[in-house]
Formats: sequence, structure tokens, C-alpha cells
Amino acid sequence: MFTKKKILAFIMMGILAITAIGCSSQTVAAPDEEGVGTSVEEAGQLVVYSARNERFVQALLDKFSEETGIEVLSLHGANPLQILEEKNNVRADIFISNDLGALGYLHMEGLLQGSNPEGIETIPVDFRADDNAYFAISARSRGFIYNKDLITEEEMPKSIEDLFDANWAEVENGYAITRGGNGGMIGHVSALRYQWGDEKTTDWITAIKENAAGIYEGHGDIRRAVGAGEHAFGLVNNYYFHQQLVEPQNNNVAFIYLDQGEGQMGVVANAAGVGLVKGGPNADNGAIFLEWLLLPENQVAFVGESLEQLINSQYGAVYPAEVESKIINFSDLKVQDMPIKELGNYFEDTKALIEDSGLDLDLK
Amino acid sequence: MGIKNIIQLNNNAKVGERFSPTLLRFFRRKWLHVWKKNPPGTGLLVFGLSIAMIMSIPIVYVVWRSLFAGTNRWLRLLDQRIPELLWNTLSLTAAVTTSTIIIGVSLAWIVIRTDIPGKKIWRWLLAIPLTIPPYVGAVTYIIVFGRSGWARDLWRDTAWLVNVFGDYSINIYSFWGVFFVLTMFTYPYVYLIASASLRKMNRNYEEAAYSQGFSASEVFWKVNLPLMRPAIGAGGILVSLYVLGDFGAIATLRYVTFTAAIYFQRAAFDTASASVLSLVLIFLTIIILWMESKTRKKNKYYQTSNTYREPLTLELGKWKPIVVFYVSLIFFLSVLLPISVLVYWSKIGISMGALDGRFFGFALNSLKASSFAALICMLFAMPIIYLKARYPSIITSFIDKLSYAGYALPGVIVALGFVFIFNNHLPILYGTFYIVALAFVVRFLPQAMQAGEASLSLLSPRIDEAARSLGYPPWKVMLKVILPNMLPGVLSGGALVFVSSIKELPATLMLRPPGFDTLAVRVYFEAAEAVYHLAAPAALLIVIVSILPLQYMLKKY
Amino acid sequence: MYDIQLKTVSKTYLGTNEPAVKNLSLNVEKGSIITLLGPSGCGKSTTLRLIAGFERAEGGSISLAGKIVSDENTWVPPEKRGVGMVFQDYALFPHLNVFDNIGFGYKEKDRKSRVMEVLELVNLKGFEKRYPYELSGGQQQRVALARALARRPVVVLLDEPFSNLDADLRVTMRVEVKRILKEAGATAIFVSHDQKDALAISDVIAVMKDGVLEQIGTPREIYRYPENKFVASFIGQSNIIKGKISDDGLSVFTNTLGSVSCNHSHCMCAGEEVCISIRPDSIIKDANGHMEGRVKEFTYTGETIDAVITITSAGEEVDLLMHIHPEENIKTGEIIRFKLLPNFVAVVKNE
Repeated sequence: MFTKKKILAFIMMGILAITAIGCSSQTVAAPDEEGVGTSVEEAGQLVVYSARNERFVQALLDKFSEETGIEVLSLHGANPLQILEEKNNVRADIFISNDLGALGYLHMEGLLQGSNPEGIETIPVDFRADDNAYFAISARSRGFIYNKDLITEEEMPKSIEDLFDANWAEVENGYAITRGGNGGMIGHVSALRYQWGDEKTTDWITAIKENAAGIYEGHGDIRRAVGAGEHAFGLVNNYYFHQQLVEPQNNNVAFIYLDQGEGQMGVVANAAGVGLVKGGPNADNGAIFLEWLLLPENQVAFVGESLEQLINSQYGAVYPAEVESKIINFSDLKVQDMPIKELGNYFEDTKALIEDSGLDLDLK
Repeated sequence: MGIKNIIQLNNNAKVGERFSPTLLRFFRRKWLHVWKKNPPGTGLLVFGLSIAMIMSIPIVYVVWRSLFAGTNRWLRLLDQRIPELLWNTLSLTAAVTTSTIIIGVSLAWIVIRTDIPGKKIWRWLLAIPLTIPPYVGAVTYIIVFGRSGWARDLWRDTAWLVNVFGDYSINIYSFWGVFFVLTMFTYPYVYLIASASLRKMNRNYEEAAYSQGFSASEVFWKVNLPLMRPAIGAGGILVSLYVLGDFGAIATLRYVTFTAAIYFQRAAFDTASASVLSLVLIFLTIIILWMESKTRKKNKYYQTSNTYREPLTLELGKWKPIVVFYVSLIFFLSVLLPISVLVYWSKIGISMGALDGRFFGFALNSLKASSFAALICMLFAMPIIYLKARYPSIITSFIDKLSYAGYALPGVIVALGFVFIFNNHLPILYGTFYIVALAFVVRFLPQAMQAGEASLSLLSPRIDEAARSLGYPPWKVMLKVILPNMLPGVLSGGALVFVSSIKELPATLMLRPPGFDTLAVRVYFEAAEAVYHLAAPAALLIVIVSILPLQYMLKKY
Repeated sequence: MYDIQLKTVSKTYLGTNEPAVKNLSLNVEKGSIITLLGPSGCGKSTTLRLIAGFERAEGGSISLAGKIVSDENTWVPPEKRGVGMVFQDYALFPHLNVFDNIGFGYKEKDRKSRVMEVLELVNLKGFEKRYPYELSGGQQQRVALARALARRPVVVLLDEPFSNLDADLRVTMRVEVKRILKEAGATAIFVSHDQKDALAISDVIAVMKDGVLEQIGTPREIYRYPENKFVASFIGQSNIIKGKISDDGLSVFTNTLGSVSCNHSHCMCAGEEVCISIRPDSIIKDANGHMEGRVKEFTYTGETIDAVITITSAGEEVDLLMHIHPEENIKTGEIIRFKLLPNFVAVVKNE
């Protein structure tokens, strides 16, 4: 037994030695990893909290590191409330969100810093804060993804109001929605409150909670489920439809842009963008990041694999062939008239309303 | 030396107050009485007490915060969430505990008591699932049985299955999925403890029963099983504590028990609700720990034999094929299949360049946090074990118990306590990797303590006295005699802490600073996005590291 | 000059009312070996630990080599007392080899030669590099002794040193340890519950019971003239018979055996009620003996026959244990004649 322990002890020592070497070699190796002449020590760091899917954001951040030599420390899947919680001990420089409402909310709470980065004029005024504390790069619209094997375009509901009708629970395999706390869902409900007022919105939430056949964590789950025929249709953002199109299998899906008819409210839109956190530890690098991001090529990179639509569609985001033909430019849609940056005013109350209406913010 | 210091301490405490000498003497006598006239040095005691505080404060803080969560929140949670969570958690715990007992005890019986071919190898092979963290196991089962998994493809392409049973209907994201995965990867706790108790079981009892005219099956039910009961109880309690505290497998399979609910409440920054749910979970854990202390008392009652004789080996005869099939099936499901899946996807991942700089960055993060935690654990463990072994008293056993708080309670609660404390009171450490490492220390310190205690218990207090009589003052005795003898144990304890830390998921998820993803965190995220070729290499590396101390674990039971 | 001096030392353990050691006074001469002998719980180990400094006395004083190490105002910690201690389980340092174990407490310049010297004394040359777990019980014992002796301590304390050895080794080690201690010229205190150890090794035996010193003397004195019933029956076997000191003060009158002459009367007065202790060895089977008894039962032990014979006299019966040469053939119920030798008959207090 004595010798066994000794062996373990040696392993332990070995591990510690490796750590010591690893820690010291890390700093030495860093410049090589970056592939450019600037070393991390000189260029410093940038802390990015992102609420967007990691796959869409990491490539953008890697590109930024590569071109500027600034090391990016990223926290994916971040909640905007973390910025609020850390307000006395600010950690983040940049907050990236797929819900402009969240950015608007943080701005309202005084947690974002206004600035005037070069290139900001490329973003339409409706898609940025008055002091440019946050701005959007890409836009998305809400709608139904549906499985063409299960339901035809004619049979599909065309208006968000159609979901008041309990009959939609009867359609084969039913329809799917996300949990109440999903950023897209919160934005959508905020827009409905703007349009309908709280009472009607509450009834709507209660109705979809009752009638939906599946409630999922995120939109990615819904598109996969609809693609696989587990549900006839689901309420998602349009780019999830684009993503399902590029799947090797289960891609016989189509999309309904809602409320496009005469007298209808228009499609509910939201946008993804960035905000500069007030008092962040690397304020200079934060400013560098904003100007870098506003370069046309990087606006395109922001969309990346997400297959969202660029607000500046003229910059020519590149889509796979399957998707290209299905893209409908944002400017060609009838969009609900609520300015997207208004969303922030609804953010906090909307969550409470959703929960009170019986739709849980998180899956149980 | 010790006594002098204590007296000084007492004197200092009373500066400026006019205590009568009798009262002073009374306190001094009381103090000496507590320590049985042998108080430890002040420095040692203060160090031990501080460690105990560090270990327990996070949990105390969670309890404290939950009490101020507000009546409305309490009522809402009690009304809606808690009953459902209780049902989910308790039904899962009971089901997994029962099935692991059945599987663990039957396997132990087969391997120890029958003439199954390859006994010695089976003993090893069947313990291997211990090295596969259940969340990794869950990922492999999602790959195989998930909605677009291999099993579905196989099913779809097999005509008779479709004809007889209809469409593929296995839903791994369900109670039964979680139940199955947790069973497969936690049964070794019962298996190892039951094996140990079977190996120690004296043949005399059985022979006495046979001589009373009992049949083989009667002997099993009336002699063996009752004798194994404490071991079964101990194993079952380990499993139920595990299920109660598991976050990874449960969240990966999208089931919700208390741990997952606490995690998601926290992720949505509703920390008050999270602390309320934590309080209920702490309560459940304490009930199980209380049951554990009861079975341990019973355990002593059963250890009576002096003349030990090895138990008889039973011949399987015509049952042999069935038994071999059963054992192989369990091995296939709990080891072969998951490992094969990991190897398969790792190969794909590696060919796609998964082992890039990013991957090594994650591995380095794991290494950094885990070895830092191991180092601190070894440092903290030594004074506590020394106090416990050489200065037994109410105070030392209190210190010892506090040190176990983080070990017994689920990781999400430890992490929640850390969030409260560091964000509010220690912002310097908040958002650094040290907070992750410290959470590991709170969670796994007792592993280092147990290993160190085992080696110190071999060192009789006479050895200290021998060194004293040879001219060494107490501090030098500690340095020259205690430390060298404790070190091998503490080092292997450190290795255990290291491995546990590499596997740790919930606290890492909740506390990691930006840019500090570890291998475990990556497995969790990549699997959630169904990017298996990136999840598999990290998971495989975790499993390989975990196999290192398996030999030690086998010895321990 | 005394090397060890205890004056009215008392010690009560916490949580007990009875003191473990009561008003114990003891003097040990330089260079002598003394054994504290008594049943377990008699306070002998406590006495040893008090001398070593592992326990504190409540009262009295302890001096080593003329220096007070413990009294009301003085406390010298164990490491400064200069005692060498040999423990029951030897307490060898498991992480050190034989050489380093022995040299552990010796810090002078001639460490190497001193350790070799002691190694030679205990006959363990060539074992320097071994570790404790590679040694037999007897070898460990020698290392423990060597370690205690290496520093040339004022006194050597040995706590039940033979209790972990098997019977054969025990006999060898008794001789061996005595030789080593004598060669080293050490003053030593043994603690033992085994009378054979005590008789074989000691210059002086101190018999203890319930924390009190019962009798102190040379092994011969203790065996031949126990002062009380406890000492008589604890050391060797003994027949205790009631009687009265006769008028001449040289013999004791008993009802069953008549007048028994004793060598020692401990200055007790004529007519006093006493007991006599008759060692089985002083009862000799003799066809011409003036006493007779009936064999009640007997045990053949190989070395001797332990026979219990019943003597009836004046209506009273008494059983006596005697040793009979193993060559003899006896039967239960047989009448045996015997005589008493006065050498091993002692008068003890009738308590």
C-alpha cells in the first residue's frame, strides 16, 4: 500500500510540475498563437458578455483577436441581468445581445456608455440609441416555420392573432413555442403589449401556453423538431428557418412572415447588436471593438453562421445557395411600427407579465 | 507551550475588565476540560477554525439569504414549484437508488461468490463506470438514443421493429432516460461497498446455517443479506446523495430536479428564488445524512468475527450462460458503449481539427483550476487532520464536521453561496479563476482529509511522544515526524481532489470568469448544441484522467 | 545519589474520581534497574508518563539527576528532560531507516560513530539501512532501545517492552535488554504486569496496586517475603493461611498446619492475628514428612505436577497447592506425606 501511495504521490507531483510549466509557457506562447507581431501584453484584453449563440459569436471574436492582437475573454450565454448584478464591480466591456430590448433595458438602468464611434452613421437611427450606447447590426422577424410534409401554406395561420384559436392545438403533431424567458419571446411579447395592451397580450400568452404541443428551451430545438416532423409548425425567428434549410436532412420546411395582409399589424421584428458597458475594465479596447465592428466586412461577419439579415443588406451578407433564394429583404416586409429601441422600456415588465400569464420563464 | 498561550489568550481577552481570579481560573479549567488537559497551540487552532469557516460560510449564507427571500416568493414557490420539484427529485432519487442496489448487489455477489470466468478482471471492469462522469454518460446516450441518434436510424431501417412496435418511440429526454443514465454510472458505489462486505463475510456464519439445515437460498436471504444490510445501506445513501446533487446528467437530459431548477433560477438571475429552493434541497440532504449516521452506528454491531475464513465459491452450473450475459450486458451499457461512442466521435473530431489551440486552452484552464484546488486542499487538510487525530475534543469534531459541509451538499448550493459572498463582499476575487478553484476546495477538501487521515491513523500518538522524549519540541515533531508520514496520504488525497475538480460541472458553470471555460464546461455546452465532435474529445480526456486513481478507489472500499 | 526521585506524587485523570497515582514516593539509585509491577490500571504506566513529562502531576515533585523537573513551580517539557523512552509498540518512525531512527535525537558531531556504537551494543550492525517494517519484533525492540540510549539519557524508561514479543523471544530479550542496559550503565525504570519479566530483569521491584506502592525490594525479597496478600498472590503462586504469631515470635501457629516456623516476622508482635504465605515450592513431598493430605486434583504441566491437597485437622479443612516432581505418579484421593521448608514461608498482614 505504501508504494501505491507513492505512485499516486508522484503522479500528483507530476501534475503540479506540468501546471507550473503550463502556466509559465502560456505567456511565452501567446504571441505565436495570435499569429501576428503584437503580443497580448501590449494589446491587452477585451471582456465580452454575449447572450447570442456561441457558434455565431466566437468566429467574430476570433477574427477581432486575429486582426487587432487584443485577447478576447468571452462569456457566452450571458444574461443581461449579470451586467446589472455586477454594476458595482464591472467586469464586462461589451455586451452582445440578440434582443435589442435587453440592451435598451441596460441603457435605461444607466449601465451603458454613450460614444461616437467612427462608422456609426451606417446604422439607421431607428436601430441605435440616441447616444449610440448600443446599436443593432442584424435584424430578424418573427414567424412560423412549418413542415411541408405535414401542412400546406394554405392551411397555415397567417396572423399572430390566429393563435387565440384553440383549433390550432388539433393540427397534426401540434405547434411548438419557446419558454417564456427566451429573448426572442420576450421581445415578441413586448411588441404585442405595445400593439394590444396588457390584457389582450395576457390572454394570448395563456392561449399559446394551453394550446402548444411542445415548449422548448430555444428556437434551435424548435426548428429541429419541426424539421423532423415532430410538430407541424413552430414560432421562431426567421433565420432559424434559414438554418434548417442548410441541414442535410429534415429540411423540407417553409416560413410564414406574419400579419402581412391589409390592415394587419405587420411582422414583429427584433434586432441583434452590441452595447458598450459603462466603466468596463478595458474601455479603450471596447471603443476599438465598436469601430472595428462597424466596418462593412465585420458587419457581415457579425451575421456569420446565424443566417440573419443584415440591416445594411447592401454590404452583401453571403448565404448558402439553399438560403439565398428564400431571403426576403427587411425593407420589403411590412414591419410593426414600434421602434425597436422602444423594446427596452418593456423588458422588465414583460417578463413579469409572461410569468403571471402562466408561461414559465424556464423549463421545469 | 500550548497551555501558556491559552492562558495568555484568556488574559488578553480580559484586558480592561475586572474579572476575579477565580472566574479566570474557572474559564481556564473549563477550557482545559474541553481539551482533556491537552489543548493545541493557538496558531494551529486558529488556522483550523478559519478553514472550517471558509468551508461552511457559503452554505450558511445561502440559508441566510433564503430566509430573506420574502413571503410572497416563498408562497409562490411553495405553491407551484416546490411540490413538483419534490416529486421529480424524490421519485428519481428513490428509483435510481433502488435500481443501483439491485444491480450493485447482484454484480458484487456474482463477482465475489461465484465461479464466473474471469472473476479478477470483472472485479475491475465493473468499477470503471465510476470514472465516467454521468453527464458524459448522458451525452453518449443522447448520441445513441436521441431523437436523431443511431438507435433511431437502426430502428427505422429494421422493418420488423417498426411493424411490431410502430415508430421509434424511445425518448431519452425523460424520467426514464435520466433514471437509466444515472443508474448505469452510479451503481459502482453500491457494487464496491457490497463487494467489500461480501469479501469480509465470514464463512463460519454460512456453515453454521447449513449445519442447521438451511438451503442455499435460505442462507442467502436469512444470513448473507442481513449481514450485507449495512453495506447496502451505505452504498444506497451514497447513490441518493449523488442523485440529489447531480446537475450535469440531469440538465443534459433536460430533466428538472432541485439542482437544475436552482441553476436555471440563478442563470435567470433570480437568486432569491434559487436560495429558497436551495434551502429545501439542503433540508433533503440533511435527512439523508441523518439516515447515513444511523446506518453507520448499526455497522459496528455487525463486525464481530475473530477467526476469519474466506467465503465459499458457489458453482453457477447451468446458470453460467445467463449470468455471464447479464454481467456482460451491464458492462456493455455502462462502459463499452459510452467509451466506444466517445472514441468514435473523438476520432471524427480530431480529424476535423478539434485538438486546436482552443481545446488546449480549455485543457489548460481545467489543469490550472484543478491543480490549484488540489494544492490548497492538501495545505488545508493537514492542520485539520492533525487537530482531529491528536487533539480530540468537541471543538475539533466541530471543525471536522464543518469541513464536510461543502462535500455533502450539492455543488449548485456551494456555487450559489460563492456568488453571494464574492460579488457582494470580495469583488477582488470575483471573476477570477481563483473563485472556481476555491469552490472546488470547498466541495472536495474532505477527499484530501480522508486520505491524509488514513495515513495519520497508522501513526500512533506514541510516535509523537518518542520524538518529544528524544529532544524535539512540538512544532519540530510536526515538521520532522508527522509531516513526512502524512504526506503520501495527503498527496494521494490531492490527486483525488484534482480528478474530482476536472470533472466538476455546476460550480464551474456558475462561477467561471469570462474566457475561462474548462473541459467539463465545453462538454456541457457542445453537447447542448449537439456538436458531438467537439464534445467527445474533451469528455474522453476527462475519462482518461479519472481512470488514474481507480486503483486507489478500489482499495478504499 | 538517586537518579530518579519522586516525592508524594499524585495524578488524577480527568473525568475520574479515583487518582491513578496516590502520594507516590520512589527513589531509584544511579545505574540500577527498577520495575514497576502491577496489574493493569494500577498506575504504573501513569507513573512512567509522569516521569517522562507526558502527564502532569497535581502534587509532589519529580527530580531527575538531582534536578527538579516537576513541582508546584517548575515544569520541564519532555524534550528537555533527557529521558530515553522505549514504548510498548516501539513507536519507531516509519519514514526513517534504522540508522536515522537511532540517530534521531542525537545531534552531536560524532553522530555517525555514536549510532554505530549503539548499533553494536544492540547487535544490529548491518541493519542501518533497513526500514522498521522490514524488521522482526525483536529487532524493532532493539532499535527502540538503541534509539533511547543513543543520547546517553539520564534515565531510560521502558513501557511494557516485552508484551508484543512471543514467549521464546521474550526470554531471550529479557537477558539481552538487561545486558545492554548494564553495559550502557543506564538507570532504568521498567513497567510490566508480568512477574517473570520483573523478576528476571530488575535490581529492584516496586509492586503497585490502585495507584499505591505496595512493596519495594529486590526480586528475592519480594518473592520470599511478600508483605501482604496482594503481593504474595500477584508474584508467583502462594497458599495463604490464617494464623497467630506464637509467643517466641519465630513461628506462626495455624489451626490446620500447627506451628509453622518462619524466617521473617516483619516485626509483628506475639499473639497478633496474621496470615502466612506458603509458596508451593516450600511444600516438599517426603515419605517421612510430619504432615499428610489427600490429593484433591492435580495438573501435569510438564515441568512439574501442580497438585492440590486437602489437609484436615481439628475439624478444619484447607487446600494447599504444591509442586511434585513430574517423575512421580500420583492419583486423586491418594494420601501424600510432606514437609514444609521455612525458606519460602512468609508472614503477611492479615487485612
